Amino acid sequence: MSLIFTDDQKSLAQTVKRFVADRTPLPKVREVIGGDRSYDPEVWAGLAGTLGLAGLTIPEEYGGAGATHADLSAALRELGAGLVPSPLLACVLAAGTLVALDDEEVNRKLLPRLAEGHVVGTLAVSEPGNRQWIPARPATSAVRSGGGFALSGTKVAVLNGAEAELLLVQAAGPEGTGVYLVERPADGLTVAKDDGVDPTRGTATVTFDGTAARLVAGDAAAALDHVADLANLAIASEQSGAMGACLAMTTEFAKIRYTFGQPIGAYQGVKHKLADMYNLWALSDAALREATRAADEEPAKLGAAAAAARALTSQGYLASAKNTMLLHGGIGFTWEHDAHFFYKNAIAGNVLAGDADYQLDRLADKLGI
Amino acid sequence: MTSIDEFRARARAWLEQNAKPFDEAAGHDGEGTSVPLEESKRFQKALWEAGFAGITWPKEYGGQGLGAEELIAFNQEAADFELPTGPFVIGLGMPGPTILELGTEEQKRRHLPPMLRGEEIWCQLFSEPSAGSDVASLQTTATRTETGWVVNGQKVWTSGAQYSDFGAILARTDPTVPKHKGITMFIVDMHHPGVTVRPLVVATGHAPFNEVFFDNVEVPADAVIGEVDKGWDAAVVMLRNERVAIGAGGRARTNALGYDSLLEAARTRGLESDPAIRRRLALLYARESALTAYGRVLHEETTAGIQIGARGSAAKLAGAELALWAADLAQDILGSDLALGSADLDRVVAAVVGAPGGAVAGGTNEIQRNIVGERVLGLPKDPGVDRNTPFNQLKLSR
Repeated sequence: MSLIFTDDQKSLAQTVKRFVADRTPLPKVREVIGGDRSYDPEVWAGLAGTLGLAGLTIPEEYGGAGATHADLSAALRELGAGLVPSPLLACVLAAGTLVALDDEEVNRKLLPRLAEGHVVGTLAVSEPGNRQWIPARPATSAVRSGGGFALSGTKVAVLNGAEAELLLVQAAGPEGTGVYLVERPADGLTVAKDDGVDPTRGTATVTFDGTAARLVAGDAAAALDHVADLANLAIASEQSGAMGACLAMTTEFAKIRYTFGQPIGAYQGVKHKLADMYNLWALSDAALREATRAADEEPAKLGAAAAAARALTSQGYLASAKNTMLLHGGIGFTWEHDAHFFYKNAIAGNVLAGDADYQLDRLADKLGI
Repeated sequence: MTSIDEFRARARAWLEQNAKPFDEAAGHDGEGTSVPLEESKRFQKALWEAGFAGITWPKEYGGQGLGAEELIAFNQEAADFELPTGPFVIGLGMPGPTILELGTEEQKRRHLPPMLRGEEIWCQLFSEPSAGSDVASLQTTATRTETGWVVNGQKVWTSGAQYSDFGAILARTDPTVPKHKGITMFIVDMHHPGVTVRPLVVATGHAPFNEVFFDNVEVPADAVIGEVDKGWDAAVVMLRNERVAIGAGGRARTNALGYDSLLEAARTRGLESDPAIRRRLALLYARESALTAYGRVLHEETTAGIQIGARGSAAKLAGAELALWAADLAQDILGSDLALGSADLDRVVAAVVGAPGGAVAGGTNEIQRNIVGERVLGLPKDPGVDRNTPFNQLKLSR
């Protein structure tokens, strides 16, 4: 398989790009994030249903399209470029967890609903005071209760925790660490939406107090390790798209903004920063292509390739978004300009599902250093 | 098995029979001159006879007429071996592809097959003492005679000039027009009387380059590559090939500042579990892999008929920046061992000292940033004052 896009992937990217331009351009995004919800349900219905993104990588036997990781990556790049608020990432990780766990009964029941986008699912792993995205030993506990389990504990940075109806919760149970399914509404469940730095990404703190849950059968450690790779692929894809958008926006500005009788892009002080932004984007995007290739055809290399790509896109996006503000000068520091939304998205994205050190440690682990 | 797999297997088998496996412990000066020239020539000829030289070049000029996939497959297999092909890298990487693109039919038939067979070695004669980043301000002249041209001037940073048979030279043919418009590219016979080659010793103490002096060197009329006074266009073609050749290196095991080499250095010193060093090694791996993947993307696009344009400059810049970054990491891993020196560190020391060279050779990082900015991103050109001024009215360093 090649690293460059196939015709189908180009066409998918084009379709998503057009959808973003028509239905959720940045002025529209501003309206949505000023409101109460983390995303616009109509936009989500379009992304999930019309464009079929919710079920893209879910196997066909469970109602998905069975498409490749490279396909999903092509679509996520466009959503990242438009800073489109949506629960797609949360749903991809929830579905990825279920597929990896492979509990036939749960999959039959939930995956078709996730594939249609009729329900929002999310993964709840991180805990307060622990910098590991997926704690080695979760403090959240599961005890037997009636025919199922009761969960107690707190999970933080839960993607779309306020909207999700299905929560997949990592917890320490009687037979070790497992993944437990909580379906809302449920008693003993408190959800507090975060007032995070990035208004385009909704997260929440979720507290369980004897909340009824079902154990999802399967190897939890292996499944969550795989989901960490999926998270890296998905976030790196969004970040690559967003970096490309920062680069395009700033390049365009450098061509039309004049100082001292020249477009600012003619000066090396500006031109060289843009060349560096180009390289940050081009190289991390290439690393991402290698990572999706590994996911689709050489799974043994996925862990290292996904962590490598993610380490580069997160770092590169942060630098690019910062330079986007700087190169726009005073204009770039106004609320009216979009630069600060990208900067905030980059700041939050840099620590989402594992910060820079976490990714480099993970990469070193995968390389056997 | 696909035809690529078959090709790969055939290449592997041939390399195992004919090339030495790569030896991590052996010294490498990276110039390929540590083996006798005759041995290099013999090897190149055998490589050609086996069908592994000029893999993507057309058959009528001695090539194999295959695609980028085969080239990549061969290069991947060859990474495990030491190929004494250093003297041919320039000719096959720069003048060769330029002649393929711009040369006359006669030039292609005369020069390309002997280049592939290892019979004739080429060098590239662009830079001058006063024309480095600004190559177009070069001062070497070619003046018309009744039968052709006569060349006078000095070139510098010329790799392999001491054993080259031919060179691709840029010379000024019209000083009355702006600098880019009065340059012509010629094929020059390096054995011609009046050509003097002197080794140039660099920071590492080695002499991988030369100074070349031209004193009334005659060149025939049919030695022009491309058109008279259109030498800058030919130079752009050649530099594009150079940057692809330099930048596409990526994760080579021969790289003393590469992940494999520095991981080994860290392990030897018990530093691989130091959290900060461990993370930087991981980042080195990530950056190296990204550069390799980017090279692969450019190759695939070329195969798919997509112009890569000036993006070779992006790869070259990335490679040079990575080497400088890795040199810092090497210093932190090796500590005083590096400063005091030891026999097992010769390669790494040479690479650390040599890293700035990579950020200058083939166009400085600043020049590459200009190229990426202007030709990849489409930014306006630097507000240069000399673009439209006749060459003979410019201020020049002399």
